[in-house]
Parts: sequence; structure tokens; C-alpha cells
Amino acid sequence: MLAKLRDPSEKALAVLLLAPAFVLLLMIVVYPIGKLVYNSLFAIDKGGAFLGLQNYIDVWQDPLFWNATQNTLLITLITVPGALLAGLALALLANLPFKRKWPVRLSLLLPWALPLSFSGLIFAWFFHTEYGVVNDILSRLGLQSEPTSWLLKPRWAFAAICLTVIWKTASFMALILLAGLQMIPKSLYEAAEVDGATPWQQFWQITLPLLLPSIVVALIFRTITALQTFDIPYTMTKGGPGEATETLAMLIHKYTIDYSDIGFGSTLAVFMFVISLAVTGVYLHHIGKNAQ
Amino acid sequence: MKKRYALQWAALALTTGLCTSTAWAEQTTLRVFVGPNQRPDLQQKLFADYNKANPGVKVEIETGGATSELQRQYLSTVLNAKDSAIDLFLIDIVNPAQYASKGWIEPLDKYVGGPAVLRTDYLPVYQTSNIIDGKVMAMPSQGDAMFMYYRKDLLAKHGVAEPKTWDDLAAGAKKILAAEGKPDLQGLSIQGAPIEGAVCTFLLPYWGQGKQFNDAGGKLTLDKAAAVKGLNTWLSMVDQGVIKKNVAEVKTPDTVNEFKAGQVVFAINWGFAFDRFKDDADSKVKDNVGVMPLPAMTGGKSATCMGGWQWAMNAFSKNKDEAGKLIKFLSSKQASAFVAREGSILPVFQSVYSDAEVNKVVPWFKDALPVVLAAQGRPMVNDYGQVSDIMRTTTSAILARTKTPEAGVDEIAARVGRLMR
Repeated sequence: MLAKLRDPSEKALAVLLLAPAFVLLLMIVVYPIGKLVYNSLFAIDKGGAFLGLQNYIDVWQDPLFWNATQNTLLITLITVPGALLAGLALALLANLPFKRKWPVRLSLLLPWALPLSFSGLIFAWFFHTEYGVVNDILSRLGLQSEPTSWLLKPRWAFAAICLTVIWKTASFMALILLAGLQMIPKSLYEAAEVDGATPWQQFWQITLPLLLPSIVVALIFRTITALQTFDIPYTMTKGGPGEATETLAMLIHKYTIDYSDIGFGSTLAVFMFVISLAVTGVYLHHIGKNAQ
Repeated sequence: MKKRYALQWAALALTTGLCTSTAWAEQTTLRVFVGPNQRPDLQQKLFADYNKANPGVKVEIETGGATSELQRQYLSTVLNAKDSAIDLFLIDIVNPAQYASKGWIEPLDKYVGGPAVLRTDYLPVYQTSNIIDGKVMAMPSQGDAMFMYYRKDLLAKHGVAEPKTWDDLAAGAKKILAAEGKPDLQGLSIQGAPIEGAVCTFLLPYWGQGKQFNDAGGKLTLDKAAAVKGLNTWLSMVDQGVIKKNVAEVKTPDTVNEFKAGQVVFAINWGFAFDRFKDDADSKVKDNVGVMPLPAMTGGKSATCMGGWQWAMNAFSKNKDEAGKLIKFLSSKQASAFVAREGSILPVFQSVYSDAEVNKVVPWFKDALPVVLAAQGRPMVNDYGQVSDIMRTTTSAILARTKTPEAGVDEIAARVGRLMR
């Protein structure tokens, strides 16, 4: 064995070098997912009996699951394009030839650097009925005679959460897009100007096509994290009023941590895993096609 | 060469570790979890006293989790993992049944002397909350209850008597609000945000009609019509301008801060609030705070929500005998009188409420005893976390008017009913 190691063939060396990464992946990815699926088949903390697929049937028939799934998908569908548009605008702004670049870049980084729950708490204050700055501004402008309880009305609470998520995540989008923008050679724009292209034409014909790979990367990251949205609605509304703003990640947390029902919570997590996998699959397929 | 050194170092470290742990084994170290609101500073003094009498036992304190829910989340993570690191912990009065059903806590009969011990001088509520299936699962440490606080000066000024029913309270509050004419003055402050306090907000006007939420066996006995009537009592007070419109946003500290700022005539809150009203530097109502039993529904009787904290022992503890002795000490009359004197914490023994030493420091405890004796435990169920979540989320949604009381009560009956049958 030792002799072999001292003089390893290429293949053995490859195996040896890959082994630590493989073992690590086994420990932190494969084992937890396997354990999750295993747990979902039992009534953990409720006697531990084997349930087979009963948890899956219960989840499928649970209106709270469908409500949370719908909310999660809706948040994803609203905030991912929203953050992309806002992020693109910010990136274009930051890419302008300012004399001092750091104030722009710093303000770009700030929302991204704040912890998620922090942003949620800040915006919860903004939208508070009595102490919130939103109601204060609206009443000062004479746009409302009585304060609105934004976070107590299902639609407004949902909109407030989406706005917060977009504010929080647009800067991450902008960072990736800004890197992409700076990769575009200046000479292309110079040539376009010589040919008499307007800034609008330059944006559609040069910037956007060359930025597309960065946009796809940003979209993948953002979509996956949007499907896992937890911190902002949790700190802003706790899923309320009622369950109007409860996401799938919050429902999983509720069952596993608040209710200590690990079997049912694991089943919900398996569903979320499948949804994330499906969405990632669509993107990867798209990238694969593009690469070809 | 280097490898050999590394091996030698590892061996040395291992030997030293083994030696040290052998030396430590002669002294028992008990690790105790106390939430930040349960006065860890005073508990520390009790532990120091205990250590003086029992030099072989050292008590370490661990704290964390600002609210009852967060503490339950932390402890359930530790106990789900069958971790023996913490020997004793303080749990909310609503939790013994849940912890016992999971096998997380050790029966204490062997250490404190069986259920009879709770039928002596302790407040009667502990006979239902702490005895599960005939076994003592937790021992009382700190009492608490929902009280009705009011502005003595405003009631006297406008000739309003202490209300006996919620209707009286609404009428009295309206009279005061109209005469004072201040837009930021509220008649009554209750907790409507989806927090644990909202469970009591649901139960108070329901119990106040003499109705019970569950029978002795833990089965749900919800009278839907009475529950709807109770919730409508709150909503009608919102419509009358007695309770503020955004009540579904109000959490426990909001009530405390607004009462302190002189913006509230009547306020429902836990026992700790009294000290905040009386002693906080920024309190504008220091000398004008009154305490009284909660009003009843017309034709019903006054009832309130019992709170407070219980000592329980980790079923996976490796120091059960020592931990049992410590629990006996911590749930003694001396310990209760000590935290009552030093921290104005409501005693768990009836006789301590009229203890001369205690009353010297906290004279209002004499008036608190009838309130505490009328206090009821929230439902004692294995899935309390879930029951509480359903009740507080739905109550909050009803107060936010996104659900009607009828629909909300139907939902509670259906979802809680499945857990309490």
C-alpha cells in the first residue's frame, strides 16, 4: 500500500486528490439530504413510527402548504425581475465615468452588506402604522387623512415585503452586472459612435447582448435564494396577517422548530428541495443550450 | 520527522486532557439555563448560596432567547439532540406537558416528594400545569399573571369607578377619552400581534363568560358562540375608539411603553409591567398606577391568564441526583420569597403574598393574590407550540379584520380540535 502511494499512477493520484472533496461533499450534501428523506418517512417526535408516504399525502392535502408555495412562487416571480431591472439600472449608473467612483460603489454595496433580518426590521419600521416614515410622508403630502396599517392588510403586506426584497437584492444583481459591464471593450462603443449609433441603440445592440451571460448567472443565484425567502417576511410580518405572507421556508421552520414535528417538516423540506431542483434544472438546461 | 513530533504532541495533549478531566470529576458542575427575563442575576445569587451549603456542587448559568418562544426553540434543539450539556432549565408554565410528552424532562417525584407537594401552599394552578399523568414534571419558580392596570388619577378626575365588566370599562374609557380630548390617548391597550400574549387576548373574554377551553383530560371544549362573542367584545371596542385601530400590531412592550408615556387609561399586561410603570426613569405615570382584577363579561366572572416559570430537569442529564437536590432548593419558599423581595417577582406560594418582609418591599402583592388565585392555565397539551401558534395567528388576523370572528373561531376549532381530542 505504502509503496503504491510513493509511486502513484496518474489515476491513483487523481482519486487521492479528489477524495477529500468527495468525502466532504458526502458529509455535507449527500448525508443531510439522505437523512432528510429518511426523516420524512417517520413520525419523528410523535412516537417515531414508520409512516411510509403518509407525510407526503398530508403535505399534499394541507392548504397551508399550497398557500406557502403560492406565496413563495409569487415572491420569486415579482422580486427576481424586479431586482434585475433595479440592479441593471444601478449597474449602468455605477458604470458611468464618475470622477469619484467610491461613493457610488459604496452606496451600491450597503444594502447587500446589511443582514437580511436587519433589512426586514428596518422596513417593518418604515411601514409601521404609527411610527412609520411611509405614513408620515403620505400624511404630510396630504395623500391620506388616516394612517394605513400596511402590514395588517394582506395585499399591502405582500407588496411591502416584495419591495424590501427588491431593495435588498438589487445591489447583489448590480454587483454581478457591473462586473459584466466592465468586461465590455470600450472600443465597441467608440466604433458604434463613429457609425452614428444613438445611446439607446448602443444599449440594445452592444450592452445587452454582451451582458447576457452575467444576467443569466445573476438570475440563477437570485431565483434560488428567492425560493428560500425567509428572513425578510419573518421579521416584517411573521407570515401575517394570518398566513397571507408565509413562505415555504417559514412553514418548514414553523413545523420543525416551533412545533418540533421533524417528520412533517422534513417532508415539506423535500418538496422545497424538489422545487429548487426543478428551477435550477431549467436554468442549467438553458445555459447548456446556449453554450452549444 | 515532523510527523513524529505531531504524534508526540497529540499524545501529550490527550494525556493532559484525560488527567484534567479526572481531576474535575471530583466536583459536580451543574449547568442551568435561565432566560434573560427570568432574572439570571438573582438566580446567580441563589446558586452562590447553594454552593456555600454544598461546596461539592458548582452551578454554571447559561442564558439566551429573549422571549418564551425563542427559549423553547433553543431548548427543543438541545433536547431533540438528546444533549446532556444542560442539567436544569426554566420553562414557561405552558410547556411542561409538551416537554413531558417528548420525553425531554425527568419526573421529579423522587426528588421533591410526589404530587402531594404541589397541593400544599403552592398556588393551585400548578396542580394542573405541572402534574402530568400523575407525576410532578416541573417545580414552580416564578409566578406571573395578566393584570389590569389603570390610571388612578384619570379615573378619579372623571369620577369613573373600577369597572367590573368589559361594558363598564368601555363606557368609562369613552367618558375619559371624550373629556380629555387628547388624540393620542387610548382607552384600553391589549396585545393583538401574533405573539404569545395574543393567546391570552383570545382567552380572557372567553373565560370571562365562565366557559372552559378544555376539559380535565385535555379535550377541546370550545363554545364557538362564546368565543365569537368574546372576540366581538374587542372589535366593538375598536369601533368605539377605546382600543386603537392597529391593535393587531401591538406587542407586550408596546403596551408597556405607551402606558408609561401616559397614553393609555387601561392596560392589560403581565406582572413585570408594574415595576416598569412605577420605577422606570422615563415613566410619566409613576404614582398613578392602579392594579385590579380583570373585568368579567356581563353575567360572567373575572378570569385571567396565568404565566410564570418552572424548573425542569433534562431527562438526558448525567447529574440527576445533584440536579434534583438543586431543584428542591430553588423551588422552596425561601427562594420564592428571595426573588419576590429582590426582583418583585410574583411568588409561587400563597403565604408569601402576605409575607411581612416581602410586603415591605412590594406592598401591592397583597392585592395581587386574588387575581392570581383566579388565574387559569392556558391549554395543557402536548402540541402546545402548535396550538398557541394557531390561536395567536388567528386572533391577530381577526383583530386585523382580515378574518371574521366566525371564520376565525371555526378555523381554531377545526385545527386545534385535531390536536386536542
